[in-house]
Amino acid sequence: MSNEEIIHKLKPIITTYAPASAALENLNEESDFIKDLNINSANLVDIILDVEEAFGITIDNTSMEKMLTVKASIEVIKEKLSEK
Amino acid sequence: MIGNDVVDLDLAKVQSNWRRKGYLDKIFSPAEQTLIATASCADEMVWILWSMKEAAYKIDNRITSIRNFAPASLVCSLALSNNEMNGSVSIQDRVYFTKTSVLPNYVHTIAAPVFDQLSKISIKIYSQPNHPIDYKSMAAGCVSHHGQYLALVY
Repeated sequence: MSNEEIIHKLKPIITTYAPASAALENLNEESDFIKDLNINSANLVDIILDVEEAFGITIDNTSMEKMLTVKASIEVIKEKLSEK
Repeated sequence: MIGNDVVDLDLAKVQSNWRRKGYLDKIFSPAEQTLIATASCADEMVWILWSMKEAAYKIDNRITSIRNFAPASLVCSLALSNNEMNGSVSIQDRVYFTKTSVLPNYVHTIAAPVFDQLSKISIKIYSQPNHPIDYKSMAAGCVSHHGQYLALVY
């Protein structure tokens, strides 16, 4: 799966938890969930759970630690997909 | 260095469904989940523990410059007495002391690396629409904002 395909699949998940903003409309690899998208940290868990469901993967706590940006999330998703 | 975290309980109710499958496992240790399961108000306990972790993280993040999302690796211990709860949060070999106040509409935790510091922290909590517009220039030791509430500590 390419980065673009992953972002395409991530966007609706992120949109569920992020308040409307220009940063959300311009979602890209550099977007930071908390700093740029103003996502409440308690909702980061929801994003991780939704990602697990959408991609059919399990994200362990060590991988979850890094998932503060779209870029880091893509890396974790790719890694977990390759282990399937 | 001090930390604080406020949780607007009315907003948390609609913003986060912690009863969702898998949710608690990503944030809380088995011991913390037992505290939640046996609490008289589980909702309240979830946000008490969460605000402790957040308040401690805000100090730890500045001390270590480590930015991550590892809530389950922050280990809470808690002693309850009336409406005030003293506790601590351990992150690897670092310990932060906490004091949490539980009110009908919000939970607020203050944190400090030294226990005696807790009693010296002064707390200002504002609810909408009374937030000071210029709070960023008020030089608070730590700022927390959630829903209706803005909490500044000095």
